Amino acid sequence: MRRELLRLSGVRGVPAGRPGAIGDERRTDRTVECWNCQTELDDAPVVCPRCGKVQPVPAGATLFDALGLRAAVDVDLAALERAYRERSLLVHPDRFATAQARERRFALEQSTLLNDAYRTLRDRAARDFYLLKLHGRDLTREDSGTREDLPLAFLEEVMELREALDAHRGAGALEPARAMAGDVGRRRSASLAEAETALRQLLAGGAGPSALEAAGHALARVRYFTRFLEEVEAMEEALGP
Amino acid sequence: MTRGLLQIHDPLRPKGPAVGIDLGTTNSLVAAVLRGKPVCIPVDDAGGVLLPSVVHYAEDGSVVVGAPARARAAEFPTTTLASAKRFMGKGKADAETRKLGAYRFAEGAGDVVRFEVAGGAPVTPIEVSAEILRTLKRRAEAHFSARVEQAVITVPAYFDDAQRQATRDAGRLAGLEVLRLLNEPTAAALAYGLDKGSQGTFAVYDLGGGTFDVSILQLVEGVFQVRSTGGDSALGGDDFDRAIAEQVLEARGLGSPSPAQVTRLLAAARAAKEALTVHDSTVLEVEGHRTELTRAQVEGWIAPWIQKTGPVCRRALRDAGLSREELDGVILVGGATRVPAVRRFVEELFGRAPLADIDPDQVVALGAAVQADLLTNAQRQDEVLLLDVIPLSLGLETMGGVAEKLIPRNTTIPAAASQVFTTFQDGQTGLDIHVVQGERELVADCRSLARFRLSGIPPLAAGMARVEVRFEVNADGLLSVSARELSTGVAQSITVKPTHGLTDEQVEQMLLDSIEHAEEDLQARLLVEQRVEAERVLADAAKQLHENADLVEPPERTELEAVMAEVKRLAAGTDADALREAIHLLDELAKPFLERVMNRAMNRALAGHSVEQV
Repeated sequence: MRRELLRLSGVRGVPAGRPGAIGDERRTDRTVECWNCQTELDDAPVVCPRCGKVQPVPAGATLFDALGLRAAVDVDLAALERAYRERSLLVHPDRFATAQARERRFALEQSTLLNDAYRTLRDRAARDFYLLKLHGRDLTREDSGTREDLPLAFLEEVMELREALDAHRGAGALEPARAMAGDVGRRRSASLAEAETALRQLLAGGAGPSALEAAGHALARVRYFTRFLEEVEAMEEALGP
Repeated sequence: MTRGLLQIHDPLRPKGPAVGIDLGTTNSLVAAVLRGKPVCIPVDDAGGVLLPSVVHYAEDGSVVVGAPARARAAEFPTTTLASAKRFMGKGKADAETRKLGAYRFAEGAGDVVRFEVAGGAPVTPIEVSAEILRTLKRRAEAHFSARVEQAVITVPAYFDDAQRQATRDAGRLAGLEVLRLLNEPTAAALAYGLDKGSQGTFAVYDLGGGTFDVSILQLVEGVFQVRSTGGDSALGGDDFDRAIAEQVLEARGLGSPSPAQVTRLLAAARAAKEALTVHDSTVLEVEGHRTELTRAQVEGWIAPWIQKTGPVCRRALRDAGLSREELDGVILVGGATRVPAVRRFVEELFGRAPLADIDPDQVVALGAAVQADLLTNAQRQDEVLLLDVIPLSLGLETMGGVAEKLIPRNTTIPAAASQVFTTFQDGQTGLDIHVVQGERELVADCRSLARFRLSGIPPLAAGMARVEVRFEVNADGLLSVSARELSTGVAQSITVKPTHGLTDEQVEQMLLDSIEHAEEDLQARLLVEQRVEAERVLADAAKQLHENADLVEPPERTELEAVMAEVKRLAAGTDADALREAIHLLDELAKPFLERVMNRAMNRALAGHSVEQV
């Protein structure tokens, strides 16, 4: 039967708005009013300091905003964990079971964005992909058309790696597959480091399209390596003890 | 019955402590914090703390709960209800109601399951559970000579909303104010003193009579985060008994024993298993036959069952993004974890000795008592926050019957995800949105949650429409799905209950299946992808051959058509690799022809024609 859906592109999380420009103009410069007590609020607080009501997610809020962090390659994981916990205690819907519908909705929005921010930003690779997306390139989907951009030699090599893995899988040979995974894992880390160098330049400002290109290529490689590692994992689950 | 039980309604009695209740499938317990320490309260006259979760409805209308009820199960199989927990929150159409043969289900209004019983009207699982809770409440009141009115009741981490609501209702029916429903693994962690003051990451390894559960929990500064969960509902201590019984049967050359013999043998096997947790050898005696069993011998028989918990634990760790070295402790729950071989296995698996100084049968009830105490005695009422996860991935069906996951399992809720899809056919004006749950690659292997249709899409060329599908799961685990065509704003939405009617067993079975079928799923997915590719390549080749017939030489056409036929033949088969190779071959062979087509198009474009006109 012919199916009608075809995947095109997408994002996980809460695209409450388009990611705003990062760096120069910060959304937090804008002043808004508390929906409940009309107090003027600076820095888009999660909760109104005067009446304590949960505020809506500001348009264009990024995942970094959700945790009150600066958009950066290098994230202080302890600070991230702390921010996640503190903000969860503030906005988790369980705490608003008896609140009015409007505040419950804001709590749900805030908490959803917060969970997505935590899940994405605490993982090194996911964070790098997200930073690239903030710069206008979304590689988080298979169809984003990067295959053509990668050197043919790399694609051929990936093909060979997968064929070798197929052979090991066919033979039920876990050890050589694990050895390959070790090697691929190291190359994945190196590609991540390469992407991060370019992303740092982009975030510092002044870097040209070449840095964006370099980050895109490095992360496209990461995607291939990750998929390879996932296949080895699936094989371990199928064949392992 | 003691006289104390008659005094429960005396309003002059002092108010007793809030209690913690483990409402189990097999046994139930009640505990309370006394002088700063949680203790289980005796529930029978012999001082035992385990109340069998069995309720017998007698002809005279009386209700018997616990060990006396269990003793009547053989004589009154249909009116002695032993597994009400499995029916909590289930509808009449649920698979669970068709699985067990002994109970008779009543017809009638509504979708609630009711058991036919002797001596009165049919009862719901909620009412049966309430009888158990009422008995526990009375026992606690007799113990304290005080009123017991508030309780924390534990539920499996996998319980869905309907099941939780049913548990809450049972508590209310029993005259208890349910302060909170607490997840069993969280309760176990609390029992080990993992309250607001402490922190760390813990694995809870829960091997009961018939089910296995593992949870990875992290506690930091009052936030209890469930990092991952997993389990196997068809694995437990009962399997150990069966393994022993089978070996003994074989040794005696008993081919087909009677049901009664099997029952006696299983009981003897259980006794032997329990004896071997403390002794190196024991004697299994059934019908005058004595069989000497050593611990080493029995460990060999049960080893395959124990080892089945390994992959589940490793997956839970991986889902949590943790290595075993990052754990601060492993907590044992469930009677089957008393078996020394299980403890050794857990120690080896996690690389550390498990925490087992609390009785694994009691640990959940003790943790519930700690929580009840926290909620009623301190001002910390809301300081511990539990961040829960969805147990199974949520996604939708895409082309070729492939399940596209939008929200992966173990995602902390509330959560949301959106993805943009497009149409596959020219002029297509509707999209079928099929929402599924599960870990398998193909929709056919996942559970179908809902279907709806987005119509009114403007008729555009294939691939031009943009449809955004958005999933939102709120903190109660309720899923809403909406679809919107981006250029026209045509929208449609639906709310589904992701786990409604899905039992723990089904959840876990689906997870296990995905482990067992990881390999064949991958192959199936590859095949589907190659078939879609084949369809595209064939359509394209046919179109070009038709429109540019003058550009292809007869021998070249013959060759191309032969390969096209081959691709078509292989697309109907199941060999993804062969199909891929054939597609590749067709690509290669068609290259010179397609180059000529392209050249002509370029020339025409340069000559002032648009490419579209070619």
